[in-house]
Amino acid sequence: MIALYDGLVEYHPKTMEPIPAIAERWQVSEDGTEYTFFLREGARFSNGRMITAKDFEYSIRRGFSPELASKNAKLAYYIKNSEAYNSGKVFAQRLDGSFILEPRTSEERSVERAKTSFSDNALLTERLAELRKPQRLTLPSNENKRAEFIEKNPELQPLLIGAKFIPVAAEDIGVEAVDDRILRFKLNQPAPFFLGLLAHQFFRVVDKETVEKFGKDWTRVENIVTSGAFLLKEHHPYDRIIVEKNPGYWDEEMVRLKRIEFYPLEEATTMMNLYKSGSVDAVYNHVPPAAWVANLRKFEDEYLDFPEVAIEYYTINVTKPPMDKLKVRQAFALAIDRETLSKFRQTTQPLIDFTPEGIFPEYEKARQRVYREKLAAAGSSLEEWKSRVFDPEKARRLLEESGFPVLRSGNGFSCPTFPVDQVDLTYNTSESNKATAEFIQAQWKQNLGITIPLKNMEFRTWLSERSKLNYNGFGRAGWVGDYMDPNTFLNLFYTSRNDSSTGWYDARFDQLIDASNRELNESKRFELMAEAELLMMQGQPVIPLQTQATNWVKKPYVKGLYPNPGTLHSWKFVYIETDPTKWDREVRNIMNSQDEWVYRNIDRLNATTKSTSD
Amino acid sequence: MIGFILRRLLIIIPMALLVVSVTWGLIRLAPGNFYSDERALPPAIEENIKRKYGLDKPIYQQYLIMMGNVVRGDFGDSLKYQGQSVNEIIFRHLPYSATIGVLAYLLALFIGLAAGIIAALRQNSAFDYGSMATAMLGLSVPNFVLGPILVIVFALWLYWLPPARWGGISHLILPVITLAAIYAAYIARLTRAGMLEVMRSDYIRTARAKGLDEKTVLLKHGLRGGIIPVVSFTGPALAHLLAGTVVVERVFAIPGLGNIFIQSVLNRDEPLTLGIVAFLSILIMIFNLAVDISYGFLDPRIRYE
Repeated sequence: MIALYDGLVEYHPKTMEPIPAIAERWQVSEDGTEYTFFLREGARFSNGRMITAKDFEYSIRRGFSPELASKNAKLAYYIKNSEAYNSGKVFAQRLDGSFILEPRTSEERSVERAKTSFSDNALLTERLAELRKPQRLTLPSNENKRAEFIEKNPELQPLLIGAKFIPVAAEDIGVEAVDDRILRFKLNQPAPFFLGLLAHQFFRVVDKETVEKFGKDWTRVENIVTSGAFLLKEHHPYDRIIVEKNPGYWDEEMVRLKRIEFYPLEEATTMMNLYKSGSVDAVYNHVPPAAWVANLRKFEDEYLDFPEVAIEYYTINVTKPPMDKLKVRQAFALAIDRETLSKFRQTTQPLIDFTPEGIFPEYEKARQRVYREKLAAAGSSLEEWKSRVFDPEKARRLLEESGFPVLRSGNGFSCPTFPVDQVDLTYNTSESNKATAEFIQAQWKQNLGITIPLKNMEFRTWLSERSKLNYNGFGRAGWVGDYMDPNTFLNLFYTSRNDSSTGWYDARFDQLIDASNRELNESKRFELMAEAELLMMQGQPVIPLQTQATNWVKKPYVKGLYPNPGTLHSWKFVYIETDPTKWDREVRNIMNSQDEWVYRNIDRLNATTKSTSD
Repeated sequence: MIGFILRRLLIIIPMALLVVSVTWGLIRLAPGNFYSDERALPPAIEENIKRKYGLDKPIYQQYLIMMGNVVRGDFGDSLKYQGQSVNEIIFRHLPYSATIGVLAYLLALFIGLAAGIIAALRQNSAFDYGSMATAMLGLSVPNFVLGPILVIVFALWLYWLPPARWGGISHLILPVITLAAIYAAYIARLTRAGMLEVMRSDYIRTARAKGLDEKTVLLKHGLRGGIIPVVSFTGPALAHLLAGTVVVERVFAIPGLGNIFIQSVLNRDEPLTLGIVAFLSILIMIFNLAVDISYGFLDPRIRYE
């Protein structure tokens, strides 16, 4: 809950970029693996206790504890030893007390060997800089599993003779309070997006005493101790959450709302009724039902639909025929008229790549450059790539080339040889997913003459089946970015055990992502990521459909609440404007118009970082 | 009589355990878990979660642990709302459902009985046809249609009543009417049919022949026999009304038991689902028992061994 807890940094209300919160300023080491945060004086928990770096150290280490079993821990695995601690691994220690390090991979070894022979080779120096710092070796704590692991990696055997195994402890995690005001993170790899991650709830600070005193009851209203701009007053699950301004908040002066009531309702229509009758001032998180969108667009002062850091796509199970053929996958991807789909869905935008459009402008520029160059080298062009938004001619040609000729029959097409019984389109049950699936089914029928059967499953059932690749053909999927960096999307395809639910994997993709994480120059980093994205999209394990949009309404007097890409709101910036001349008019311009009060506060908060950055 | 009640009460316990077991089996058969979402979890995190909730144990052990807890009346904590026990959640949300349920029940009984009796006494009159036509309409319009129509008219056009949520008395009016409509219609038709049959029967003729006044004939002799079908309908109906009616609670965003029940199933919040299922099955069986007992008082022909 963003209103209740503060972190080191806070989301910028418009862009979601990190702005200072409890951390006043920070430094990043030259190799990008060490982050040092300087905490402000005067930040207190709601019980009056001073918030120190120790509290952050505790909160973050607690997040990784296997007993807490946090689902978000994975987000922060970039922190040194956090994954090993979270998954209960052991270090291997030699008799002399030193720890055994991870052996180099063969490629790394060859670079290292070369170092000794030609030490002044410029290229080599660059490659050397890329070398990972050797990390301590970690092994499973369970003896049977450890034996199994060593058996699979025989090169470890000689290293481990006589070694003692020591469990990875919370203290080994790379987050540490240097003193009361200084917190240091050590990462196991450079992660240029790390700062952007830190506003996530996983990194927000909780009070150790309260957590330890009340155990699992610590979040109850009578026990809870918070650190943010608001205090929890009432919590009725499924009904309402009421928060009130925290008078002891370190930035108390800027908080203008005295009280916020949240109603976590399920029925979209019920929510809209409450909004229309004036009982609530804003409803967010994709609220208006699709049938209302056209109607709501007329209310230019209230309705917001802006691109979101979220996409909808179909996964393809590339492990089963006929979808194991690249050309077949490409054909189905090309045979969807995405412009019309977006018009049909009303709020979304067509998508042909995997990262959402209109969210990462700098990345998109880099991607354009890379695509132009790479595609030209491959005898294609950026224009041809862009025509992938809809190209039924080419789709039919590709199908024919892969052995499924598309015949003209009457006004339409037919493809009698295509094994329709081996391919389905599965979606998780919902009105809008059904509408989209039916639209796409019709597109394929119209453009390829193939009728793919539709199937639907309850959400959690579907997720489980999809991740096990228990489906044929196509599966509906959506992805919401966890932080403001294209990496949060591309990471889905990283490593052979990736989360893409497609069965696709390419070692070159991993190398490009690794290289991009090591690159500190932003435009070069984006270029490497764009190369990875192109590589993945050329393999077509997914059919991108659309960039999602925010879809919510707010009254014009509610200010400081923006349709930011993740719909994550920093509530301390929200206020009610009583002067009608200052109300938000024409929300189309809301992201360009400058709210003087909001910007003054952002500048004030950012000022502390500037004073020391030079 | 006492023996009959005791025997029936004793049967409730194994029946409830059976219902819980079947429900548990069905939950376990469904793929997916309470912790699954779009973000696939690394195996290590999944293991942590499984260990935390005892899902790493063999399935028969899990079943025995679950049954042991259920027998002790302790369903454990909700998986979705950490730190809140299932019993606490049920008893916190029951009053919402019970309030609108009891009010709707009383409203339905009042309207239904009154309309049914008057229609029976004035058979084939304008009132009879009018009220039975209305009842037919009430039966045919499902509450997920009636609710939104009432909201549009009274909340969004007239601004007389709030459209949803829990609050003062004004918040109760629309959901109670929506919920009562179908029951009132049923009761009206059952009452009318029952009364018509009874009023033609011999013992009513005898009562009239004894020279009793029409009021006594109707209320003391006629009604007792005439409402037996109504009782057998409204007994279980009350259990349903108390336990929450999902549709009305969702349309009006009332945090009652029905709403929680649906959410718990969708969230795969196993302890909460089991708790609500056990609670509801016991409630329904007790009401059925109460109905059976009341027959004895209403109809002298029914006796229990």
